[in-house]
Amino acid sequence: MMTPAQSEGDRLHTVLSDHMSPRRILAGRALVWSAAFVLFATLVVQALHDFEYLSFGFETWRPVLYAYVLWAISMGVAQVLLRGERGKRALFVLPAVLFVVSIVVFPLLFGLYISFTDWNLSSLTGRKFNGLDNFRQMLSDPFYWNALKNMVYYVLAISVEYAIAFGLALLLNAQIRARKFFRVVFLLPLMLSPVAVSWMVGKSMMEIRFGPLANVARFLGWETPSFFGSPEIARLSIMVMDAWTFIPFMMIMLLAGLQALPKEVLEAAKVDGCKPWQSFWQVIFPLMLPVSITAIVIRIIFKLKLADIIINVTAGGPGGATDSVTSFIFREYRDRSNVGYGTLLAMVYLILIIIFVTTLLNVVKRWMRPTN
Amino acid sequence: MKVEVYRRLMAAQMSRRKMLKGAAAAGVAAAGAAGGLGSFAGPAFAQGNVRTNILRIPGVGVGSPTDADWQKVGALCLGPTKINTGEGEFAGVELTFLGLNNQNLHNFLFRGFLKPWEAYTGAKINWIDLAQADYNARLQQSIATGTVDFDVIEMGAPFEGDVCGKGLASIMPDWVKQQIDMNDYVGYLKAPVGTWEGKTYRISIDGDCHNFNYRTDYFKDSKLAAAWTAEGHQGPWKVPTTWQKVQEVTKFLKGKKIGGFDANGYLDPLKGWGGFGFYFLGSRATAYAKHPDDPAWLFDPESMKPRVNNPAWVRAIQDVLDVLDAQPPDQINADPGTTGFQQFLAGTGSMLSWWGDIGSNAKTSDTSVVGDSIGFSILPGSDDVYNAKSGKWDQLPSGPSYAPNMAYIGWGVYVMARVDSDSKKQKAAWSAAAHLGGKDISLWCAAYPSGFQPYRNSHFDIPEWVGAGYDEAFIADYLASQADSYNHPNAAIEPRIPGIFQYYSVAEDELAKIYAGQYTAQDGADRIAAAWDKITDQIGRKSQIALYKASLGLS
Repeated sequence: MMTPAQSEGDRLHTVLSDHMSPRRILAGRALVWSAAFVLFATLVVQALHDFEYLSFGFETWRPVLYAYVLWAISMGVAQVLLRGERGKRALFVLPAVLFVVSIVVFPLLFGLYISFTDWNLSSLTGRKFNGLDNFRQMLSDPFYWNALKNMVYYVLAISVEYAIAFGLALLLNAQIRARKFFRVVFLLPLMLSPVAVSWMVGKSMMEIRFGPLANVARFLGWETPSFFGSPEIARLSIMVMDAWTFIPFMMIMLLAGLQALPKEVLEAAKVDGCKPWQSFWQVIFPLMLPVSITAIVIRIIFKLKLADIIINVTAGGPGGATDSVTSFIFREYRDRSNVGYGTLLAMVYLILIIIFVTTLLNVVKRWMRPTN
Repeated sequence: MKVEVYRRLMAAQMSRRKMLKGAAAAGVAAAGAAGGLGSFAGPAFAQGNVRTNILRIPGVGVGSPTDADWQKVGALCLGPTKINTGEGEFAGVELTFLGLNNQNLHNFLFRGFLKPWEAYTGAKINWIDLAQADYNARLQQSIATGTVDFDVIEMGAPFEGDVCGKGLASIMPDWVKQQIDMNDYVGYLKAPVGTWEGKTYRISIDGDCHNFNYRTDYFKDSKLAAAWTAEGHQGPWKVPTTWQKVQEVTKFLKGKKIGGFDANGYLDPLKGWGGFGFYFLGSRATAYAKHPDDPAWLFDPESMKPRVNNPAWVRAIQDVLDVLDAQPPDQINADPGTTGFQQFLAGTGSMLSWWGDIGSNAKTSDTSVVGDSIGFSILPGSDDVYNAKSGKWDQLPSGPSYAPNMAYIGWGVYVMARVDSDSKKQKAAWSAAAHLGGKDISLWCAAYPSGFQPYRNSHFDIPEWVGAGYDEAFIADYLASQADSYNHPNAAIEPRIPGIFQYYSVAEDELAKIYAGQYTAQDGADRIAAAWDKITDQIGRKSQIALYKASLGLS
């Protein structure tokens, strides 16, 4: 048993002996190296077979997966054999690390490789490495740039959504009648699938002949209402439907922020003679900035994935006016089986999103810090 | 028959009295057959009985068929299987069938039909059910990754290029051809459809084509007739039979009224529909682009050079542009579903190209206001047709050139080549497929909710339908509208090359820009052609040429 002095520096105060016999270490090393060899050999054989350098091999890559699982288990066992108690501690993290590697890192790397290939599922020759051809094609693809331009409009629309969501949150934070009822009602659109919104609102309520919104528009003097007929109005209609679905999300975040505001500060403002408008601008809004920015950033991330409503209602039209990057990639993938190019577009979009969100977070960092 | 068609038909026209009348007629017919044709061989007599008997399951007007009914039909139609297969011959064989679960039909029916077949042959079938939206991706992925995990597949002819062209399908044995009576297929479903390089792969279970639906009340309207004459148009006010006249009528109707409502002419769907929207431009273009002396009309078979930007196609696109302002409001946002179900059926527009089932819906749908004023014909023709070989417009001595668009060609059942290494399994797979595509079972599918339309000459025998309880006038009209298209000698058959929907999809994107006024017809068509060339190069031009030629029956 270890004495307290021996365990100095060991915050977990390990009680088991970590004495490793040479035989045990040897067994551990043999296990991990043999499993690694099996994995490596399976991988190499299958790769050579796949590239037709070897006649023998497996029909699918599944054996490589099995070899990976075997190697992962061996790694776990070897940790205990080689490092004793510290190895057991590593077992709390190792499976999660290997799992993340296999379902996130590996697919991402594989996706990166796919994006540099010419891979049309209908092609008889299958996948071919084509370097930067897909990237060059993207640079001259008017549909992609058009979709990116539309995304700028869609993201800018969040500022209006934010203002509305803030207004609603203030309303629901006030002492109004049936406050709980309205909180639930305002959340309902968020509970709906965007596909349901597409059909119920876009294809039914906004239908130009019998849709109730079209009838209201006629009543208000718009003789031939058309919510998706011209590029600008179609884009606006998509923004409105998307906003209707997601404003409750921002609203609920802002409402939670409002309810967490220190009451003393608000009361102090009132005692000092602040008018409601002053109280909002000078006290509430600055205090709410961290929550607001969090809500906006998350909303931007949601917005960048906008696709379902567009696919269902306008299919990107008229003339590409409502196309989003995701809906364009969807067509490239689903309708055209253009896996290589579609993956590159998705990868580039991912990088753009990471850059955009990172920059945004850096820019707004100083407002995110809670004020003392 | 499509479910909704069946329901509407039943709701609108069926009565117990009519059904009994029909059944009695069928009984008389059967008795006559027994007496008059008694000298014929047994199977013919037996077949007549089978057809009469299955059409009574469950009986027209007594509710939708159930799994028990499908099994009864399957059992009654086992005769041809028993001729070619011994009882228990496939014991121990397991087959995997990949198909659709649309509207709870397709695979659901197949399960019922094949249950008696399984009991008789001893084989077992495992099922893979797919939603329509997942079908293409699943099939393409299976092909591309070499993971074909099914033995029998329900598949549309447009995918033949992807499957048969890659040698993934099994060649149909001769005994199957005889068992399913392939000679009974309507003209356009015969070779080269279903064949590659002279070998047959497909058992048809469905037929598809676009036909021309029009409003008879428009063309009987005396005020419109008077206005037509007053404006100096040539010829009487009547249903147009050429696209030139369709254009003239559509422009003429702009601003006119009928029954107090705005009159509209031909309805063009201007919004994409996952690639399917291109079929509708195709229906306008075939009369211009499909020359009777040339089987090709979308690509040049020697080079795969797209013809979509040739004068014929550009003229079709320009036709659409020329009547944009005569279309109903917001037409830019109307996809084919909208034009068919929300516009034409609801009384907007006077002319429409669509698949055969829209016409029967118009007659019987509860939401239709045009049921008593609809007529059908093959697609309009053209006074002149473009000759891609000479680069000139030809006027045929026989008059206008017609070329009905055989859009999608319909569903078929195919056996995969992976069963070929095991002769017992191969025979079992083909036997199962032949049972589903049998002549008698197909009549039941055409008459009852199944998701499939008539596709055999024997399906157009009106007394059989009347015997089952259908109204004669309606069913005669319904069937004739399709038969004339199916059997047309200059029918435009869809190229069954790999990735055909990729071509359609990218064309829809460019057409949307043309219709939105961003390009001229020629510029837009050139862009489509460039995109098509890119797809051809990506898939492989040499192989596409070979497969395109094979799909056209050219050596």
